[in-house]
Amino acid sequence: MANHDHALELEKAGANISGRLSSLAFLARRYPLGAIGGVIMVVFLLTALCAGLTGLDPFTTDARSSLARPGGEHLLGADFMGRDVLARIVFGARISLAVAVGATVLGCFFGVVIGLTSGFFGGWFDLLVQRLIDIMQSLPLLVMALVMAASLGPSLQNTIIAIAIPLVPSVARVIRSNALSLREMPYVEAARAVGMSEMRIAVTHVLPNTLAPLIVLGTAQLGSAILVESALSFLGLGVPEPHPSWGRMLSESAAEYVRSAPWLVIFPGVAISAVVFGTNLLGDAIRDVLDPRQRQ
Amino acid sequence: MGAYLVRRLALMLLTLFGMSVLIFVLLRVVPGNITDIIFDSAGYVNERQKKKIEQQLGLDQPIVVQYGRWIAGLAKGDLGYAYVSEKPALDEILPRIPVTAKLAVLALFFSVLIGVPLGVISAVRQDTTLDYVLRIVSLSGLSLPSFWLGLLILMAFVHWFGWIPIYQSSPGSLWKEVALLSIPAAAVGFRSSALVMRLTRSSMLEVLRQDYIRTARAKGASDTSVHYDHALRNAVLPVVTIIGIEAAFLIGGLIVTETVFNIPGVARFLVEAIRWRDYPIVQNLVMFIAVVVVAVNFLVDMTYAVLDPRIRYEG
Amino acid sequence: MDLRHAAVATIGCAAVALAAPTALAQKSGGVLRSYNSSNPPSASIHEEATIATAMPFSAVFNNLLMFDPSKPRNGLDTIVPELAERWTWDASRTRFTVTLRRGVKWHDGKPFTAKDVQCTWHRLIGKDPDDFRKNPRAIWWRNLSEVTTNGDYEATFVLAAPQASFPALLATNLSPVYPCHVALKDMRTKPVGTGPFRFVTFDSNKTITLAKNKEYWKPGRPYLDGIQFSIVASRATRTLAFAANEFDLTFVADITPPLVGDVLARSPKAVCELAPTGVTTNLLVNRDRAPFNDENLRKAMTLAIDRQAMNDILERGKASISGAMLASPHGRWGLPKELLDSLPGYGGTPAERLVAARRIMTDLGYGPAKRLKIKVSTRDFQAFKDPAVLLVDQLNKIYFDAELEIVESSVWYNKVTRRDYSVGLNLTGSGIDDPDVTLVEGYACKSERNYTNYCNPRVEKLLAEQSQEADPSKRQQLVWQIEKILAEDAARPIILHTVAATCWHPHVKGHVLQQNSIYNNWRFEDVWLDK
Repeated sequence: MANHDHALELEKAGANISGRLSSLAFLARRYPLGAIGGVIMVVFLLTALCAGLTGLDPFTTDARSSLARPGGEHLLGADFMGRDVLARIVFGARISLAVAVGATVLGCFFGVVIGLTSGFFGGWFDLLVQRLIDIMQSLPLLVMALVMAASLGPSLQNTIIAIAIPLVPSVARVIRSNALSLREMPYVEAARAVGMSEMRIAVTHVLPNTLAPLIVLGTAQLGSAILVESALSFLGLGVPEPHPSWGRMLSESAAEYVRSAPWLVIFPGVAISAVVFGTNLLGDAIRDVLDPRQRQ
Repeated sequence: MGAYLVRRLALMLLTLFGMSVLIFVLLRVVPGNITDIIFDSAGYVNERQKKKIEQQLGLDQPIVVQYGRWIAGLAKGDLGYAYVSEKPALDEILPRIPVTAKLAVLALFFSVLIGVPLGVISAVRQDTTLDYVLRIVSLSGLSLPSFWLGLLILMAFVHWFGWIPIYQSSPGSLWKEVALLSIPAAAVGFRSSALVMRLTRSSMLEVLRQDYIRTARAKGASDTSVHYDHALRNAVLPVVTIIGIEAAFLIGGLIVTETVFNIPGVARFLVEAIRWRDYPIVQNLVMFIAVVVVAVNFLVDMTYAVLDPRIRYEG
Repeated sequence: MDLRHAAVATIGCAAVALAAPTALAQKSGGVLRSYNSSNPPSASIHEEATIATAMPFSAVFNNLLMFDPSKPRNGLDTIVPELAERWTWDASRTRFTVTLRRGVKWHDGKPFTAKDVQCTWHRLIGKDPDDFRKNPRAIWWRNLSEVTTNGDYEATFVLAAPQASFPALLATNLSPVYPCHVALKDMRTKPVGTGPFRFVTFDSNKTITLAKNKEYWKPGRPYLDGIQFSIVASRATRTLAFAANEFDLTFVADITPPLVGDVLARSPKAVCELAPTGVTTNLLVNRDRAPFNDENLRKAMTLAIDRQAMNDILERGKASISGAMLASPHGRWGLPKELLDSLPGYGGTPAERLVAARRIMTDLGYGPAKRLKIKVSTRDFQAFKDPAVLLVDQLNKIYFDAELEIVESSVWYNKVTRRDYSVGLNLTGSGIDDPDVTLVEGYACKSERNYTNYCNPRVEKLLAEQSQEADPSKRQQLVWQIEKILAEDAARPIILHTVAATCWHPHVKGHVLQQNSIYNNWRFEDVWLDK
């Protein structure tokens, strides 16, 4: 198994050093790009988690500061309503985190449940699931998310659901094929021989072994969820006011002021790009770590 | 192979049928329908007039009947009338397809033009600084929101050239049109080129590790010949796949780009139609997209079968 | 109507200077390029209440009467003939007779006659079997009981009671004459009129094109060979395109006050005129629902509104603050400053009003520890959400715990028409700067757009009285009385009369932007290009 290989590799490399920190240092040397991604993600997480401690206020409007330039009282400027852009970006990290993690976890959860059951148990259920996956995958992700977002109406939860649903089939497909191959493994056969119930086998033996591909897939989806949210916001279907979503900050209202207040377009865009870039870097590294056969 | 084909075609039809049910139901879950939109611009709702319009459009019928009518019409090639423009839906959709198709082809062209060579270079120079730089560039291509990139491009154009590449209704000649479309196409293509580059790189690397490449090297073939003659030729197959799939999925990226650059294609039209709750347009357009996606998937599989004799299909 | 649909008044002072085109200098030819900010729901002006239809399609039609296009401020005293050469009132002032121009042809070649006049207004009052799909201005014509003809060139409007403003209702671009022989479905997709431009194409979400009517009845007009409106939904894209000279003229009232400087920075020679849009930002309070059925609570809410703060942010301080009617110098009917300041919610400083509002709230049992939890509903549309965010802020200063509820755009009016809200923020547009339109639509008991169900018999009586009053100054006094009652009852507090600019490049000549209705003067027959 991929993760076993890696544990071995780590063990060999770290034979004379101990502690998790050292393994981290080893990983950072081995995967410098991943390390950069990791740092970006840590900054992002800390920003989102500690937003409340910064004393910044993303909601207070102020006529005098409308479209204020960066610098002075407003480090990154202020928006049309006089709200501080830095504060909104910092608090917006929470929304982006909620959307990215929420949609990914939700999508992965249902993807795993569906993929695992259909792959492990097979039969008519599997056939049905496969057809459903075919149907869901016959539309591009954004088109699917768009239709979903329109059906559900504007709210933070609905945006998360709308982004999560199109993720389900791709997760389910990967997990299913994994479960299919695991079904015939000797240790599964063994478990069956000692009379373990199918359900228990699925949960105790098959599920843990699908974790590696799941993590790889999940990290890849984090960034994509943020991008889809920003596109939905741009099209007027994303996270609604007053949440300081990065996508919404960037969308039409900010774009109106491209010339007089370019910071309204530039800073949220940089925030989105940086975080998505971070997840992509990290995702690549995690894939390399967990699945060395694909190491490129 | 024949039996396999029949099975594939049957599954494709099944998928499309499922899609038609899904989109039909989803659309009717969306809050508000065309009558709300019609009254939206008037600032009030008149229940009597609203009922009358619903009757005229058949929206008062049970959902099964409505679905039946749609499918029966489709079977006869009749897509119905658009609710907003009151023109045949086909006349609304058809003229917009070439615009989007041109944009998509140009975007693909850019993505291949940039993605394949960079992918090859990156693979051949694996783990060098150049490789790292190229990988970072390609990753950043996957990280920028595409409408943001579009806006930045527009801002740059106005700033430096005092001119803006937005689509006018009659661009004159084909060349002028291509010139206009090439800027949004580059914005979309940048993202796809990142995908193409990553895939080219990984499949190049895979091939470079194969036995026959080692053999070729052992036989004294030059590096250039190994890389470009042997490796690239074999690495091309998965790249063709991703290009095919990307072509069908490009429409996602085109939705925002067509909006930013005001291009009257089908992708933007879809968003507008969803906003207007224009069922005949959305339903038929979504089905059209689904048909394209399903067909492309099928073609990609067939290309595989033809190009790679190792793949055998049991009937 | 929403913000895209508005009326008029200029804030700047540029308008009049532009107006006078030097005689004989006009050049013919060229195609005017403009844009629409949204796709018109249809091409049928009578069936829509949006400027998205009125601006691009008005040039296809003619009215019976029109507001003098060279005078920027519309009023009963600026009405001039169009298809009606003359008009007269009878002695009872209930019969309005028009004598029609002869020899006018519809674009399809059929002659224009009194029958067309009759059937247009029969449709509007529901007397024609070929009914409008929707009739957003039905309430304008509630006093019209019949239209009769006398031969091909005379028609008489029979009113139930005298109505001083009746000619104004006929004179706006929103009241064109329709051809009887063309089906309404065609009027929605390929309209036929008598106007200076013929309809050529209407591709949804793409373009609208009009071409010169070579047989136009007015000699020497129009100057332009055609007009093209591109439909550009993204504001960033269209303002950039205007700066890049891809458009000669912006959509009407498309440039909000904060953007004007931006547009002028990019196109220093462009002309940008700021004018009231005819749209008011207003507060909806559901007076039938507890606890808002308490008059005192509603009063506290009106005191909490800080109009100046909203104006400073949203409109760069350029908006007009007045009652329901737009005040001078832009409008003709609004309350003068002294009277306005005596009304609740207008006088004193914001701080004083805040104290008063808090006192009422404390008396009602609310306080910092016991806040009133409410949802402020508004439409999922930027121009609605911005003021709503500010409103939430301001209400929270008087012990509210208000939260924004964004309502899906398409069901917003559905919801408010059903009175399914507690507190809402709405934008309401008015087509003509006239009490018979603005006050009746917003506050008459049976109006479909009276979203708060406000119904006061005293107001009803005064509305009828002012409508029949022929003397403008007496009528004005009646209107001011109504304004006072509306403010005291906190009927539907008007927060701001919004303003926005319309811009054009200097080579566009002969256009006079109207100051108190964005709907008027879109015939484009006097416009020419100096290229």
